[in-house]
Amino acid sequence: MAGRRAALKAIDWAAFSERVPPNQRAMFNALKTRSDALSARLAALPEKPPAIDWAYYKAAVAKAGMVDDFQKKFSALKVPEPVDTQTAKVDAQEKEAAKSSAEYVQASKARIAQYEQELQKFRNMIPFEQMTFEDLHEVFPETRLDKEKYPYWPHKPIADL
Amino acid sequence: RALCPSRPAAPAALKNLPPPVTAGILHAKRTLHASQQCAAPLPPLPEKPGQVRYGLIPEEFFQFLYPKTGVTGPYMLGTGLLLYLLSKEIYVINHETVAGACILTVLIYGVKKYGSAVAAFADKLNEEKMATALAVKNDAIKSLETAIEQEKKEQWRAEGHSFLFDAKRNNIAMLLEANYRERLLTVYNEVKKRLDYQVAMQHLKRQKEQDHMIQWVEKNVVQSITPQQQKESIAKCILDLKALSKSAHVTA
Repeated sequence: MAGRRAALKAIDWAAFSERVPPNQRAMFNALKTRSDALSARLAALPEKPPAIDWAYYKAAVAKAGMVDDFQKKFSALKVPEPVDTQTAKVDAQEKEAAKSSAEYVQASKARIAQYEQELQKFRNMIPFEQMTFEDLHEVFPETRLDKEKYPYWPHKPIADL
Repeated sequence: RALCPSRPAAPAALKNLPPPVTAGILHAKRTLHASQQCAAPLPPLPEKPGQVRYGLIPEEFFQFLYPKTGVTGPYMLGTGLLLYLLSKEIYVINHETVAGACILTVLIYGVKKYGSAVAAFADKLNEEKMATALAVKNDAIKSLETAIEQEKKEQWRAEGHSFLFDAKRNNIAMLLEANYRERLLTVYNEVKKRLDYQVAMQHLKRQKEQDHMIQWVEKNVVQSITPQQQKESIAKCILDLKALSKSAHVTA
């Protein structure tokens, strides 16, 4: 019985629950109910079945040798453990998830750097009171009027006024 | 100072003289290509224009004459100049003079009375523009900061993926263990059932044998009671009853 009890790792459901984003909460709840059901089922089963009182049966059953026969066969019987086919898949999934989450974190860091850059630009801006229109167009390029496309005042389509 | 459409073109001469009265906060020298150096970023535009006396004559002129002629110098110069122009008829007084005087009076009166109100109104317009621009800037900053927060939070969330897989592995292990235990239990139950069946069968057989034996014995006993024995036993019974009744009578 070597590989019988893969150690059950204690899971901190509270911490897990905190990390679940709101759009995946339904899946998390389903997982939790399934886990709870499994652990309840496991807890309900005794670890070993009670031992059979062979002495009593030997005295009680008249047929000679039957009890002995049963006893021999019973102790010789080896119940096969259920084979674990899924853990490998789960490990593979975990590796993939680790990879994709690393990628996501990378992309996220790039995004954060970009945001930081823009934030710096805004923070280092001169106050509006000291700006001219030229300065404004430098900081907010979208305010620049396209004088080539619309050569006549107001340099933008009338609908945009 | 409102947003100007371009760099303002003030009188070139004045730019080179530092304005003596500094009313505005932002006050740095803005040289107009006086030298090859250019200070970048350019210092901001001054808030207030150059100081002017009587709306016409810049302060710099008074400052310029002060060392030589004192405070009254420029006034003396002005008066003398005016008298010279009038007496020599270089400036001729005609109808235009009167018209000009009236117009000037009205203008000055108007400006003095309503000037500040109009200025305040224009300033308010500008303030509103500034305020909207500032609001836009602040909103942009805030949204960027919240975006950064969100990203960090999402990163933290993504780190928790190991929880999920631990949970899955746990589930698998629990399932296997439960199955194994169920199998053991089934084996035990089956063996026990069979043994119990044997024992129960034996008991039943024993029971039936006993019952049958008893019945058979009873039947035989009843059969063996011959009629003669029956008569004798009945007579004996009657005698016994008479004796009993006699004793009963006596006691009662």
